[in-house]
Amino acid sequence: MSVLIDGILAILAIYLALQCLMAQRLTQTVFLFFAFGLALALAWIRLGAVDVAIAEAAIAAGFLGVLLLDALRDFSPTFSQKQKNPETGQNPPGKDDNKPPFLPRLALGFGLGLFLLISLEAIWKTPEGGGLTAASEAFLPESGVEHPVTAVLLNFRAYDTWLEIGVILMGLLAIFVVGGIRLYSRPFTAAQDPLLRQVILFFTPVLFLFGAFLLYFGKSGPGGAFQAAVLWGAIGILLHLGGRPVFSVMPRWLLQLILTMGLGFFLLLGFLLMATGNALFEYPPAYSGIMILIVETLAAVSIAAALTAIFANVNLMKEDPNQTESTT
Amino acid sequence: MEAYKIYSLTSAVLFVIGIGGIFIARHFIKKIIATIIMGGGVFLCFVSFAERDALNFADPVPHAMVITGIVVAVASAAFALALARRIYQLTGEESFTKDQ
Repeated sequence: MSVLIDGILAILAIYLALQCLMAQRLTQTVFLFFAFGLALALAWIRLGAVDVAIAEAAIAAGFLGVLLLDALRDFSPTFSQKQKNPETGQNPPGKDDNKPPFLPRLALGFGLGLFLLISLEAIWKTPEGGGLTAASEAFLPESGVEHPVTAVLLNFRAYDTWLEIGVILMGLLAIFVVGGIRLYSRPFTAAQDPLLRQVILFFTPVLFLFGAFLLYFGKSGPGGAFQAAVLWGAIGILLHLGGRPVFSVMPRWLLQLILTMGLGFFLLLGFLLMATGNALFEYPPAYSGIMILIVETLAAVSIAAALTAIFANVNLMKEDPNQTESTT
Repeated sequence: MEAYKIYSLTSAVLFVIGIGGIFIARHFIKKIIATIIMGGGVFLCFVSFAERDALNFADPVPHAMVITGIVVAVASAAFALALARRIYQLTGEESFTKDQ
């Protein structure tokens, strides 16, 4: 029975990935991408990786899907123009999936098939090394949290997590470089749509509470800083779409402080630990629980702010391109 | 047949679909999505091996690495998306090839 479920889920994921890349219209592609992300999240739940499932559903399917949907505002009109060819109504067959000469396609197909066989063999023959389960189980009591994934993320391999917060900040900076920093310079008007206003009123507290729950629950179960951060970032995105961008009401230095405090405090803590004779990010076991909670909270706020800023900046790329010219 | 075997074989297929998509798809958005699908294949491989190496709980190190990886992949995809939109705004092109 479980083999049946797993097999169907695997076929579904492969089918959705194929359809996603072969769909004729970009809107289809983006919505199939949502579905693919959620199918993958289900696969991870089947594999017992609930943290990963939450992260996938929230960040990869949710946040990236929203960014892609937003990008459709740019691309969609021209794409449908291309579809409206002189032959009225009839979609030109294979306008998007190109028709290159026969030989390159054959070579590509052959190469991909060979590659598939090689990777299947590599996966099949991976030796059963036992992994690091035993080691992480042995040191779990010293980590200050009860959930092994959180222990790895914020204690055993805290350096990775610190760098990851830095990567998000780098992504934001790179988007600033590409699009020009002109966040929140123009006046915003609140959305007139009553439905959107009610949705914002209802979802803001719910998302905030659920994010806080995930953050705190991360020490004993699936959840943690990143999952909480995406939910809090969703608040920022909702408010932005409702015409009330959160960062427009706060001074610029406060925004910069919020964006960098996760990375900064993490590093400061690491240096303080080094000054007291430990290694970088080696928490003393007696205080590790509270230290992890503080680091996680600050990191979650920072990541949420960074995700909101990424969305807001990419979202504003569409509006007044002339202003972009002048500021970049 | 255990669950991890099914999913580790699926991961190879997803990875190859992603690579093929990068070559075949033309539109920027499709290319970006193809890289994400490729990444999804790699992550699925990691997590299925974590399930294989489970003792009392599944190996948490691959789980943590996959969570890190998802966030990094999304950050880079967001950057790629911003680049694509900027290219479109400046040149009006939505793919690397000009023959359309």
